[in-house]
Amino acid sequence: MKITDLLSKDAIKLNGVMSSKEESINQLIELMTTNGNILDKEKYKQVVLKREEEGSTGIGEGIAIPHGKTDAVTKPGLSAMVVPDGVEFNSLDGQPAKLLFLIAAPNTKDNVHLDVLSRLSTLLMDTEFRKALLNAKTPEEFLMCIDRAENVKISENKDYNNSYEILAITACPTGIAHTYMAAEALEQMGEKLGHKVKVETHGSSGVKNKFTKEEIKNAKAIIIAADTKIDFSRFDGKKIVKAKVADGINKPKELIEYALSDQAKVYHSNVKNEINDSNEKEGVWTQIYKHLMNGVTHMLPFVVGGGILTAIAFLLDDYSINPANFGMNTPIAAFFKTVGGAAFNVMLYILAGYIAMSIADRPGLAVGFVGGILAVQGTTFASLSDSSIVLVSSGFLGALIAGFVGGYIVVFLKKICSYLPDSIEGIKTILLYPVFGILLMGLFMLIINPYVAGINTAINNYLSSMGTANKVLLGALLGGMMAVDLGGPVNKAAYTFGTGMLASGQYEIMAAVMAGGMVPPLAIALLATLFPKKIAKKDRQAAYVNYIMGLSFISEGAIPFASSDPLRTIPAFIIGSAVTGALSMAFNCTLMAPHGGIFVIATIGHPLMYLLAILIGTIVSALIMAKLKKNLPEHSK
Amino acid sequence: MKTEKIILKNETGLHARPASEIAKIASKYQCTINLIVNDKTINAKSILNIMAAGIKSSTEIEIQCDGTDEEAALAELLQAFNNNFGE
Repeated sequence: MKITDLLSKDAIKLNGVMSSKEESINQLIELMTTNGNILDKEKYKQVVLKREEEGSTGIGEGIAIPHGKTDAVTKPGLSAMVVPDGVEFNSLDGQPAKLLFLIAAPNTKDNVHLDVLSRLSTLLMDTEFRKALLNAKTPEEFLMCIDRAENVKISENKDYNNSYEILAITACPTGIAHTYMAAEALEQMGEKLGHKVKVETHGSSGVKNKFTKEEIKNAKAIIIAADTKIDFSRFDGKKIVKAKVADGINKPKELIEYALSDQAKVYHSNVKNEINDSNEKEGVWTQIYKHLMNGVTHMLPFVVGGGILTAIAFLLDDYSINPANFGMNTPIAAFFKTVGGAAFNVMLYILAGYIAMSIADRPGLAVGFVGGILAVQGTTFASLSDSSIVLVSSGFLGALIAGFVGGYIVVFLKKICSYLPDSIEGIKTILLYPVFGILLMGLFMLIINPYVAGINTAINNYLSSMGTANKVLLGALLGGMMAVDLGGPVNKAAYTFGTGMLASGQYEIMAAVMAGGMVPPLAIALLATLFPKKIAKKDRQAAYVNYIMGLSFISEGAIPFASSDPLRTIPAFIIGSAVTGALSMAFNCTLMAPHGGIFVIATIGHPLMYLLAILIGTIVSALIMAKLKKNLPEHSK
Repeated sequence: MKTEKIILKNETGLHARPASEIAKIASKYQCTINLIVNDKTINAKSILNIMAAGIKSSTEIEIQCDGTDEEAALAELLQAFNNNFGE
């Protein structure tokens, strides 16, 4: 609301000559009535005078701002008077009042007079502005002074408004869908609630929409909706609310309101217990999941690149030349196999390293990394003295253990080192953590390697020799898990297992996992195509887009449809995905790439049967939904 | 320097009367007195400054007193805030 909207030139009197406070108030009220917003002049006057009894509104510096809030006022208004010789107003500083503004406010809850008062005071703080008002020759000039000053202030205000009340970070392990859905939900809810929200997305393509230092300084609170580890250090001294990425999608309103409330805790990077506090709240499983996902997120590019290039090597090679050396028989195949293999070889180091880093921050990386290497090599104490022993890799399982143990070794070292004098603070990260961390890690890995390698070998042997019935069962289980929460922890558990098994050379499991994950979005799209009435008209376009989502193996595409009607969709997804997973196993389909959907079809073993498995699961799922879901009336929104 | 954080309780916010009361109290003391609201610093001895901030109910205000009589100043201001300025 602008002052000039409330003050008309007819409500301004210059060169007033007043003998008393009451006379000037009477005069101001007369001027106010020209605004046509006073129902009952007497009543309004009583309120204004009563207010003066409580304490003078002569606030000093020759300014008086009498005001009244009452039902007798229909809408907010202002009148103004300049009294060049001043009038006694019992002002706080004892000086006569020369600039008088009367405020009329309706008796509403929003305290509009406080806004007017605030605006007016902001302008009046400027001595030059007051002088200009006192020297105004005509009411028009008086108004113009205000208008000019207000425009300057407003442009300043705009600068201030460019900052955001709330900054939010969203991130999910794969960084393809949830991250951006949560970002959108938070932004839209912020707009709805009238709070400016800026969201920084930490997706698979890196950090987008990064906050500036200025923005962080101006923000009232930070919301972190993430299932991966986020570095808080730049938010020192800010209120931080931590939540899962799913809360960002489903409960944006609660998050924003909580962030702005007093319950939100202020984060201090140097206070350790507060961090622990918030971690404890997350629960052990959430934490483990988050650390694991930090490892998986960083490992994935290696698996994708390595897996696909290796698969291409097999496609290009000629099996008949030397079956034992398949993949390396022709130079071009050998090229792909070597490059892909280089990426594939380090995937478990990366997994272990980044799990440890998630637990213990940067000092954890080296320790976890080395643990991962030892796990893959399978070195044992016995092998140190006897070189004839054939090393057996601890594989995926060993790397997982190395990551977690490595992380906690560093956390443990940090605890111990906190008793050391501060003067050696500098050498902790550069000397103590790496040396003792890697030493302890090495001891631990060499001790457990024989046992973990044994378990790993047993799992591999079991999976390789598994009878068809069990394979189908495993496929159904993993496929079904992919559909339970469409990108949530259960889905990721199955997915992580699939990628882990790639490292052990078990390619059928990954095939079943990906097929299962492709079914839900495809089923939604098929449902929209075959039975359009089952899906609200406004959502149908989005449903068709799910063909692309499904074919690209982005299970998350089905989430909006699942969350709006979970009881009828999720069971259908699970059944369809389980069928597909089981069929993929039964058909002995293999997949070396952990992602890519239809675009890596060339690298899939038995591609046609694979497509058939997906098609059957999709049809099953769509038909179940068609049966469960009611027809929606065509005009529904 | 003495500081204290409080939440503004009176329903109508810091309008003219409470603002003048704060300024009146603050002016009695020699020490520098500032109110910190939303990272903005407001001179508590100036009514205009306080009113210009347009502080609404349930806003967090940090009172900062710095000078020889800081303790007494903070105590009296806190009392005024806690009494909701007699509202």
